[in-house]
Amino acid sequence: MSAVLYRRLLLSALLLLPAIPVAAQVRILQTNSQGDNIHLIDPATNQIVGEVKGVPINHGAAGAPDGSKLYFSSEAEQTLHVVDGKTFGIIKKIPLTGRPNNISISRDGRRVYVGIVSSPGAVDVIDTTTLEKVKSIPTKGGIHNTYVTPDGKYVVAGSIAGKVMTVIDQKTEEPAWTLFQEGVRPMAFETNADGSTKRIFVQLSDFHGFAVVDFAQRKEVARIELPNDVPAEKVDKGPFNASPSHGLGVAPDGKTLWVTSRPNARVYTYSLPDLKLLPGSVDLGGRPDWVTFTPDSKRLYIATENTDTVVAIDVVARKEITRIKVGKSPKRNITWVARGTS
Amino acid sequence: MAQARRVWLSALGSRLWPIGVCAAALTIAIFSVPSGTRAAGPEDELPDGDGKKILVSSCTACHDLTEVTKFRGYYDRKQWRDIVVTMMDYGAPVDEKQVDILADYLAKHLGKE
Repeated sequence: MSAVLYRRLLLSALLLLPAIPVAAQVRILQTNSQGDNIHLIDPATNQIVGEVKGVPINHGAAGAPDGSKLYFSSEAEQTLHVVDGKTFGIIKKIPLTGRPNNISISRDGRRVYVGIVSSPGAVDVIDTTTLEKVKSIPTKGGIHNTYVTPDGKYVVAGSIAGKVMTVIDQKTEEPAWTLFQEGVRPMAFETNADGSTKRIFVQLSDFHGFAVVDFAQRKEVARIELPNDVPAEKVDKGPFNASPSHGLGVAPDGKTLWVTSRPNARVYTYSLPDLKLLPGSVDLGGRPDWVTFTPDSKRLYIATENTDTVVAIDVVARKEITRIKVGKSPKRNITWVARGTS
Repeated sequence: MAQARRVWLSALGSRLWPIGVCAAALTIAIFSVPSGTRAAGPEDELPDGDGKKILVSSCTACHDLTEVTKFRGYYDRKQWRDIVVTMMDYGAPVDEKQVDILADYLAKHLGKE
């Protein structure tokens, strides 16, 4: 091989290298609502493999799809903390309109949507390129949770105080439609074959179960109450922040919906799309909060706030795998898939 | 035989007296604690006042007091007032006259230093 040809081949290889995707790294990000740290769990080993520090009274979490950054809202400092995805050091604290709750990130990673729970309520929009707040979308009542629909076309914001779910067009960043007259809590999304939103499963204040919203019809089509199948002496009497069922998720394969019960300290499974209750609820040993799945739908992680623990569950067997000790009062959790390139 | 038995009992007694003292102390401790006694909670760390009465009666119906005390040292009065108003929007049984009493109390005892 001539030296020229060798150099050309080497150059071509080097040019191609950045385009070859590295295997995605999956981490469970577990916030600790009464602490200033966030734990990163490796679902392959169920061990804590990282920790973000310096985010007091952290609430929402989001991860950049390219793995470069993490975002956490701090209720104490009323800021969005931007964290380096490799070193976990804080890059910037972005001031917000008021006290934040949960956050979400656009599919392309360019926008972070922060629910502002302070009156009168808003969704703050953060540009992740400039790391500045570029807009604040007014809402009816303070916002507890924001979600980006799986197809990325809408941002859905739930208000407890305003008793409303607001669907915002992601392109225009303007409200498109609203629903409910009850406090809106966590949500989970079911998709059509083309990836568009089919139904939203919505937990509501003071309801031990969830509502079913047909997205195309823009209306509630069913309301399902969780079983009361735990002996009375074992039922937790609370208090539950007026949210007896707080935490639910659709498995990424779209086959099951998992819904938690605080009084029963259990998670229940429903088949999709028929919403049939499956046997074998899992005892969580404490008050469950948020849930998140691994992308392969094999494992589920549920935060139990009063035991400072995350319960890892085998989705297929519907059985507990292990309990992972985390920080103080763990609540929101997400699955961060960092699809970085070298 | 009787002499040997007395010696054995004496030796046994000298070895067991610390256990006896502990058992007695434990018994006294158990029976001297009122039946309603509980472990110290976050409310015990807060000084008495009208604000505390509102805090305990209106807030803990829905959530543990640690959901309030976790913000210790972070908020000024305006921010505490915002929390009170937000919680009223959530349905907390706090009337208009109580808002400033509670905000003052929270700012004084849990506010920014």
